[in-house]
Amino acid sequence: MAEIYQRDVNLEDYDPDLLIELYKTMVKIRSFDENLIRLMQEGKVSGFYHSGIGSEGLSAGSITKLLRDEDYIYYNHRGCNQKIAKGVPLSKIYGDFLGTIEGTTKGLGAGIVHSADPSRGVLGQAGTIGSQLSLAVGSAFASQMKGTDQVTIVYFGDGAASRETMHGSLNWAKLYNLPVIYICENNEYAISCHVSETHGVKAHIADWSEGYGIPNCVVDGNDVLLMHEVTKEAIERAKKGRGPTFIEAQTFRHRGHFEGDPYDYIDKAVLQDWKDNRDPIKNFKKQLINSGLTTEDHLINLGKQVEEEILQAIEIAENAPMPERNRIYEGLFA
Amino acid sequence: MRQITMREALNEALHEEMERDESTVLFGEDVAKFGGINKVTQGLYEKYGAPRVYDTPIAEATIVGAAVGMAITGHARPIPELQFGDFASIAFDEIFNKMGKWRFMHGGQMEMPITLRLPVGIAGGAGPEHSQSPQALFMHGPGLQIVVPSTPYDAKGLLKTSIRDNNAVLFFEHKLLYDMKGDVPEEEYLIPFGKADIKREGEDLTIIATALQVQTSLEAAEELSNQGVEAEVIDPRTLAPLDMETILNSVRKTGRVLIVHEESKTGGSGAEIAAQIQEEALFDLEAPIKRIGSPDVPIAQSIHLEQFYRPNAQQIINAVNEIIDVPV
Repeated sequence: MAEIYQRDVNLEDYDPDLLIELYKTMVKIRSFDENLIRLMQEGKVSGFYHSGIGSEGLSAGSITKLLRDEDYIYYNHRGCNQKIAKGVPLSKIYGDFLGTIEGTTKGLGAGIVHSADPSRGVLGQAGTIGSQLSLAVGSAFASQMKGTDQVTIVYFGDGAASRETMHGSLNWAKLYNLPVIYICENNEYAISCHVSETHGVKAHIADWSEGYGIPNCVVDGNDVLLMHEVTKEAIERAKKGRGPTFIEAQTFRHRGHFEGDPYDYIDKAVLQDWKDNRDPIKNFKKQLINSGLTTEDHLINLGKQVEEEILQAIEIAENAPMPERNRIYEGLFA
Repeated sequence: MRQITMREALNEALHEEMERDESTVLFGEDVAKFGGINKVTQGLYEKYGAPRVYDTPIAEATIVGAAVGMAITGHARPIPELQFGDFASIAFDEIFNKMGKWRFMHGGQMEMPITLRLPVGIAGGAGPEHSQSPQALFMHGPGLQIVVPSTPYDAKGLLKTSIRDNNAVLFFEHKLLYDMKGDVPEEEYLIPFGKADIKREGEDLTIIATALQVQTSLEAAEELSNQGVEAEVIDPRTLAPLDMETILNSVRKTGRVLIVHEESKTGGSGAEIAAQIQEEALFDLEAPIKRIGSPDVPIAQSIHLEQFYRPNAQQIINAVNEIIDVPV
């Protein structure tokens, strides 16, 4: 069975800049999401959105100061967490929601799924969830063939993990010893169905990868430093030519699958517990202050800076024009 | 000029393009050491080895998905093979949505230099899931170029163009054409997409045919010529892009049209071609457009029954005579 990943993490062992950057990234992700929901409420953006609030630690921990621009990611379709952590400009992501030409798709309106920024290794995402798992082994194969030390991280939810593509991908990853890291964002629900209703596993989704001989573990995805550590190990493994890693990161979504989802299929007490006791931002903030590295005032200021950055990004995105009608005929072929 | 088989022509194209561009990577089921079940990829593994040429698991969705993931890095030019074109159904999402649309839906930021080879057609009692010609399904999918050669010459020139192209190509090879011999020059040449080839000139009617049916139509045209009917036989060579200009010029000249393909008739590529002809040249027609395709039923495994699916020269002759008999 998959190892439950645990390490003693002491804040004093880390570069303070990294710790602040991790915090800032999580705050940025949440603030981005909250503001996007506000834009939906104002009727400017469609509610076809899957909020990533509650799972920021998983993305910040696995990307911030670990991945370079040349490393590839396939993000999952919950929030814009990984895109933001990978450094895609916020105005571009907002532009993709607002449908203005500021977006990465220059007005096509990528929404949550189809933003891309190849210059930062963000290769896009499949609207058919889980299809990115097949693409990821291809990108990793290309790096291996070219002889670079690039790594590919593919993110997907517990729901996507039940796609057939998962097994095809794991087989290739192990068979060809590919530099690919699987990060399964397990928030327990595929829309309304609990993971126990849809997955035949020993105990964990990560156990599937055990059958392929892929190093794997289950980790608390809401502990940003644990996520940092487990991903760092996986990246080192990939760079040394030791092949893939499968990380099942446990988390929980604070909101429903989509905006407007009554979210009444979960146990309210469980959700409250995640919000009160396992919120990645709240917990890390407490750790940072308790360690004496920073003060509450400083973090509040940081939050204000982030908010300011977000509002500016929205302004840029909103002020950009909508595309002309002929936009739909552009870019089909190179 | 030297004569070689279409198998040899395709194999030469692969050798030349893999030599020319070291970012090319060829993979699929049994394509490496075994040289492919149709022996089209022979000698490539021996020359280039893994990872440039490698055998994959039986996993069509992953084969095509991985090709997309390779292509969009900008560092690889994949040439995957699906052992039978029918297996496109297993990788439908990867072909229809990912190969075809990934570039567009991500704002045109990536290129898709994939040539997916798909052997198709009724041959040797392979049965309902190893004999189909699913080309037309993909005419409905934006972002996919569809190549269907009918001669060794076209096969080589079109495959080389496909591999060099920075967009997705579905390359359909009729299995009964692999052993067909034809003129192929020693020197290098390329054939552009969207350029139909007039395989035989004629004044009385236009036959538009693809793949093996080009050969069957030429055979029928010779017989028709003995009867005093001169058919023009046009091979579009690529269904996407489709060279309607060449087709319409011929239609305006002859006023009579027969479309022949091995794809089943309903919803086959001929349906689209017929629709476009009537949109552009209805009043140039002197008779209704006729189509011949294989019957709209699953293909039987029996070699005895198989012959009743594949359009033959006599059917073409009969159809032509019906068209010609329509009074002006």
